[in-house]
Amino acid sequence: MTPTSDLDRVAMIVLRYMRRPLFALLFVYSVGIIGMALMPGQVVDGEATRMNLFHAFYFFTYTATTTGFGELPNGFSEEQRLWTILCLYTGVIAWFYAIGSLIHLVQNPYFIQAMDGFRFARKVERNAEPFVILCGFGDAGSLLARGLSDHRMRAVILDADPERIKALGVRDYTVPMPGLHADASAPKHLLAAGVEHPACQALVALTNNNDVNLKIAVMARHLNPGLRVVCRSTSARHEANLRALDNVTVVDPFEIFAQLLYWAIARPELHNLNAWFVGARGVALGAPLKAPRGNWILCGYGRMGYWVHRYLGAHGVGLRIIDPDVDAQGDGEDTVLVRAHADHAALVTAGIDDAAGIVVATDCDADNLSTLLSVTELNPAVFRIVRQNSHENQVAFDAARADLVLQPSLTTARRILKLLISPLVQELIDWLAEREPSRTEAVVARLQATVGAEPPHLWSVRLIPGEAPAVTRYLDSDGMITLGALCRDARAFPDALPCEALAVRREGRSIMLPDRDFPLEGGDELLFCGVHWVKPILQATLHNPYTLRYVVTGVDAPRGYLFAWLDARSQRRRSDHRLAGRR
Amino acid sequence: MNLERVVFGFFIILTLSLNAAFVLGSIETAAHHNVWILTLTIIVNLVAIGLKLGDRSQTGALLLASGLVAGFLLITARVVWIVAEPGGGDATAPDDMADIVSIATGALVANIVATVILVGDTLLARR
Repeated sequence: MTPTSDLDRVAMIVLRYMRRPLFALLFVYSVGIIGMALMPGQVVDGEATRMNLFHAFYFFTYTATTTGFGELPNGFSEEQRLWTILCLYTGVIAWFYAIGSLIHLVQNPYFIQAMDGFRFARKVERNAEPFVILCGFGDAGSLLARGLSDHRMRAVILDADPERIKALGVRDYTVPMPGLHADASAPKHLLAAGVEHPACQALVALTNNNDVNLKIAVMARHLNPGLRVVCRSTSARHEANLRALDNVTVVDPFEIFAQLLYWAIARPELHNLNAWFVGARGVALGAPLKAPRGNWILCGYGRMGYWVHRYLGAHGVGLRIIDPDVDAQGDGEDTVLVRAHADHAALVTAGIDDAAGIVVATDCDADNLSTLLSVTELNPAVFRIVRQNSHENQVAFDAARADLVLQPSLTTARRILKLLISPLVQELIDWLAEREPSRTEAVVARLQATVGAEPPHLWSVRLIPGEAPAVTRYLDSDGMITLGALCRDARAFPDALPCEALAVRREGRSIMLPDRDFPLEGGDELLFCGVHWVKPILQATLHNPYTLRYVVTGVDAPRGYLFAWLDARSQRRRSDHRLAGRR
Repeated sequence: MNLERVVFGFFIILTLSLNAAFVLGSIETAAHHNVWILTLTIIVNLVAIGLKLGDRSQTGALLLASGLVAGFLLITARVVWIVAEPGGGDATAPDDMADIVSIATGALVANIVATVILVGDTLLARR
């Protein structure tokens, strides 16, 4: 069997389905036209005239389609009129039959699906802009699509649920986001989504099923070994499989959640910086949450609770766990276990009175909210961190006034967005997490001084001829540009623009927090954080050779040949004078 | 202040002013249009083009292009005048005059574009 494309398939379905109506039309037309040509017409000069074949066809065409112009080109004889009646009834019925079959076919769900697939594949194939393939359009998937749209990055969306794809059609994204209702783990759908397309930047497997995600990652790896894959996984077995494939980034929503939770409790300054970078609501830079140290209570010990316990336990935060199904194996001695639902009695048993904080992290929003109510009643002073599972319950969680609400789908979407749009940001955060808190505080102080109270804008620039032609040309002609010089404001010369270069990626290595004297090289990727209006001004410096020369040297160089020649001459004369004076 | 900008701005705006001075008046009346002003406009325009040679920036390229358009049209107008001028010091015929002035009006548009670019670029640079 030869492989068929979607177009072939659609054409074949139409032809097979329309075979009988087309034959019916052909038969009725032939009989009608031949009969009409044979019928004797009006008698002229004693001889009956006959319609020629073309006129018969013309007559039949307008009769069968119920247009009915009348008796053309000449008036009919009675015989012709009799035949006309026959033509009319058979022709019209055959037409209705053909049109009815066509409408029936168009309404056929399989045909609609084949058509959707064909249109989707064509849309993806014709797209020349860089895009990301997004498999799974649930809570995290739609949040990620929204984030990509904010960054003007296109996405191609596959989901097995037709309702979600229908919902996609009414979203107001800034860029086109074609979607298809299909099983993303089938290779033909991955191909239709453009896994081999040259503009495809990455594939994100975000379905709720670990097996499906693993399958998507493996298929994508085989179809396009160079493609970057980001894969959601919540089980250790799948993760081990995925880690064996290169170019695959595994994202575990529960681990990310636990990591953020740990930062919120033990590294408030880092949590604050991270939240500010991703633009979380109501976060001000330099005003971290003050989570108290001491004993914490954890409600809910599933896969997420396991990670929370692991992160917090490794950093010396004592935990008391409340969960109906918790097993004691592998827990340290300082862990108190309460085997119950997190109700009034269980909270009292776990010692809510002297606890510093509580993490309410079961996978049921109603349970979490009701536990919060009990906690507020028993000990209003305790620090409350709560897990929000469904995006729909946002308003209820806002009203609950917890100290921190963490939403796994949102944190996952933000982490993946960072990996896709500016991977250097995540590298910087990880780098800061491994170092002492004072270093993070220094970064925060630097950013506060430059950006102030404005919302942050993060962007990266690569020093390649396409993105920074002026800089690459300047560097090629043996010029030296330092980071500080590049960030100068051409409108107010030695002053710096309100932006900070946070990281530089050079030949696969990352240099974090470079200082102002850092010399740049062609091919570097720079991560900037600054006020939003800085980007176009810096863009002008990167593109215009005169502006660049001005910010680097402080001299407004002559532009035309004439003034360049005059300038060179006056300089030569000045140096001649100096030489003569020395003599 | 940058001397090059002063000089270039001078020539660009002078071209525009001279061009307007030539074009104003009834389109067919030879007495309303001075051949000396047209010739002077061409010379000033050529100087402005010469000053822009060698500029590698985007606005420089656009200014050069508009200068070339204006120069081309002005020279065409001057050539038409030479061809159409009857011998013996008579005034040029009204229909020929209309051709000359309408071509010079086209050059005026190119000069307005150049001036707008120059002013816009200077205002955007804000320094």
